[in-house]
Amino acid sequence: MLSRSWRHLARRYSQATTFRTNENSPAQHSEKQEGLFYTMKPELCKQLFSHGGFPKSFMQQTKTFTETAVMVRQPALDLISCIKASDLNQPAIRYVLYGEKGSGKSLTLAHVLHYAHEDGYLIVHVPWVSEWLRRVPRHKEMSNSQTNEGFVDLPLDAAAWLIHFKSQNQTLLKSENLKVSKEYVWSKREKTEAGSPLHTLVEHGINRVKYACDVVDVLIDEIKMLSSSKQCKTFVAIDGFNSFFYPLTRLSTPTKKTVKPDEVTLTTSFLKLTHNDWTNGVIVVTADQLAVPDDHQESFLPRYLLYKKGFDHLDPFVPIEVGRYNEKEFQSCVGYYRDRLWLRGPPEVETELKFTSACNPYRFMEQCAPL
Amino acid sequence: MMYQNCMKMSSVIIKQFLPHTKSVCARLRSPVVCNVFNYSTKVTTTSNEDVLNNLTDWETLSKKKKISKAMKAYLERAQAHDEFMHKQQFEYNIGKRHLANMMGEDPETFTQKDVDRAIEYLFPSGIYDPAARPLMKPPEEVFPARKAAEFDEAGRPHHFLFYTGKPSYFKLMYDAAENIQQLYNFQDKVIRKKATPDPNGKLNLGATVWLTKDQLENVLVEAITDLEYDNFKLVMERLVSLPYAYRIKDFIDKYRKPLASQKFALEIPKPSYDAEGRAFITTYECLRKKARGDVTIRAPGTGKITINGKDLTYFDDIQSREQVMFPLIFTGMQDRVDVECNIEGGGPSGQSGAIRWGIAWSLRSFVDADMLERMQVAGLLTRDFRRRERKKPGQPGARKKPTWKRR
Repeated sequence: MLSRSWRHLARRYSQATTFRTNENSPAQHSEKQEGLFYTMKPELCKQLFSHGGFPKSFMQQTKTFTETAVMVRQPALDLISCIKASDLNQPAIRYVLYGEKGSGKSLTLAHVLHYAHEDGYLIVHVPWVSEWLRRVPRHKEMSNSQTNEGFVDLPLDAAAWLIHFKSQNQTLLKSENLKVSKEYVWSKREKTEAGSPLHTLVEHGINRVKYACDVVDVLIDEIKMLSSSKQCKTFVAIDGFNSFFYPLTRLSTPTKKTVKPDEVTLTTSFLKLTHNDWTNGVIVVTADQLAVPDDHQESFLPRYLLYKKGFDHLDPFVPIEVGRYNEKEFQSCVGYYRDRLWLRGPPEVETELKFTSACNPYRFMEQCAPL
Repeated sequence: MMYQNCMKMSSVIIKQFLPHTKSVCARLRSPVVCNVFNYSTKVTTTSNEDVLNNLTDWETLSKKKKISKAMKAYLERAQAHDEFMHKQQFEYNIGKRHLANMMGEDPETFTQKDVDRAIEYLFPSGIYDPAARPLMKPPEEVFPARKAAEFDEAGRPHHFLFYTGKPSYFKLMYDAAENIQQLYNFQDKVIRKKATPDPNGKLNLGATVWLTKDQLENVLVEAITDLEYDNFKLVMERLVSLPYAYRIKDFIDKYRKPLASQKFALEIPKPSYDAEGRAFITTYECLRKKARGDVTIRAPGTGKITINGKDLTYFDDIQSREQVMFPLIFTGMQDRVDVECNIEGGGPSGQSGAIRWGIAWSLRSFVDADMLERMQVAGLLTRDFRRRERKKPGQPGARKKPTWKRR
């Protein structure tokens, strides 16, 4: 047993230089670390991504590998350097990540999210928009909105998101400088007074699920105001953003009327957030083929996936393509998988896998699984 | 009268026919047949002469008084067989003439080649196995040869190895052993005389192989066992391995046949050169199932693959991608050439199969002879001619039968 662990240790150290980097802070990542894996701390992962944020297959992989290692890739580096270089006093800049299925958009987003967390941003992160609009589990709860006529609320989803928001911004919410600007009256007895800290608002949404959607709406307004007034800087990350613009959702009202995305209160809230009428913020969204049904997956380009409406909504934005692995990234990934015993066999296997997976990260991972 | 006339004209045939039973004569009397016979006299005499002469002359044998029981039995069998063969030959000739008339060609110059062509035209067949398609061949090709009498009237065998049961086979082994002995003697003689061996006396067996068991059986007209065939090969290999084996080349050559399909080595095209000075080869008509396309290979390249303007992601499944890359990886050329394909029709497996063949076929110009041989052995240069099999009425698929249900 001991000898075995020694062997593992020896192997890890012998290959450490080829595919791993000890620089675990995304802010310090540069071209030098490109293609190398860095490890996220488990506590951090739990804080940032326990309610979603990593793709499911990646979650399984982290469980198998007993560590969360993310590759430092060019799009994330570009994005981080852009964010560093941008002037936060200007209206928020929108970045759109796009790329083929399985090329690592969500993981790039996670990498950038880690950076934002480290840099002290207030994080507004939607792990997967389709979770709200396209996934209909048995316990999905829908109700007609009390405040907006003709709109649909998703109270459970909104409450779950508030919990996610709370856990991601634990430290920032504790600080006292985030205050609600005006009084909100929810019912005869319940109200949130002006000047009370932001986390009471969040708590209220979590405790009174009925008002969760309204709380989200208000919260977003507050966040926009707070960051415009330099109280905090805000990082908005929305994965699968194009789902907001697909003409239909899979939701239907009790009267069997199909619901359009525009008729969901959460949609309106988050579309408000992605307008650039506020400052001191960064907005990163992804346009993903997997967020829409099969009949609208012919191209991965943002114009096609976002439709004209979404494109005009985001315009102007900075498109960032997340591509397949290049030679260096592929070799480093092979090294990592070999280290984790995810890939075994003779070196000829690699050439073949490179062909069959066409250097697509997700396909590569899938195809290594049985090897 | 016709019959008389006929008899005069075809003297040779009549001689053979006279002793035949009445049925043959009766048949000859029918006007159509007579007419045909008359018509075809010349051809029949020339073409059938040797066939008929080859048949056992049982007539003279039967005149002898004292014959053994074995001989008698043999004679009866031989008679029946000769009769049968004769009938078949006759029918074949008539059929051939009919065929010639049907095809509107001259019956006199109608050869076996024409017969085959006519049969293929008149009875088109989609059966996969050529052996199962309709055919019309001369009877001596269709019916296996039989041994002639191996013993005389008194029942005494001609052959000195008759009682081994397989005289031809053991004669062959005997000859081989004798040859080996002779070669040993010759070698001794050369050594004794201190002569130098003939420098250009060398046996070249490169392009030939030993007869297979079936072929050997056909040559010997005897059934042999696997063990006997192995012994045959053992002895012949021994014979060939001797230094002066070239002296008995005739004997060896009788049991070897030329190796087929050496021809593609000659037909490999030379690559052309494009504007950038890169060698390229285009293979058209890459087919598999319903897919049709062409493949261009450019060397030197970087391993870039373009299929209908897209890269390898044109195919979604792993199997198709593996098909495409297999010839490249097999030859180790995956980083040294660029591939461009245009393919249409069919599905992914057909298209990828067609591309695979196209790549392998084009790569011939860029690999050495050794690799070429390995590619052929790996089946890369073989076309897959299979097609989708049609669905049959009354069952759910081409071969699938409905689920069996008792009632």
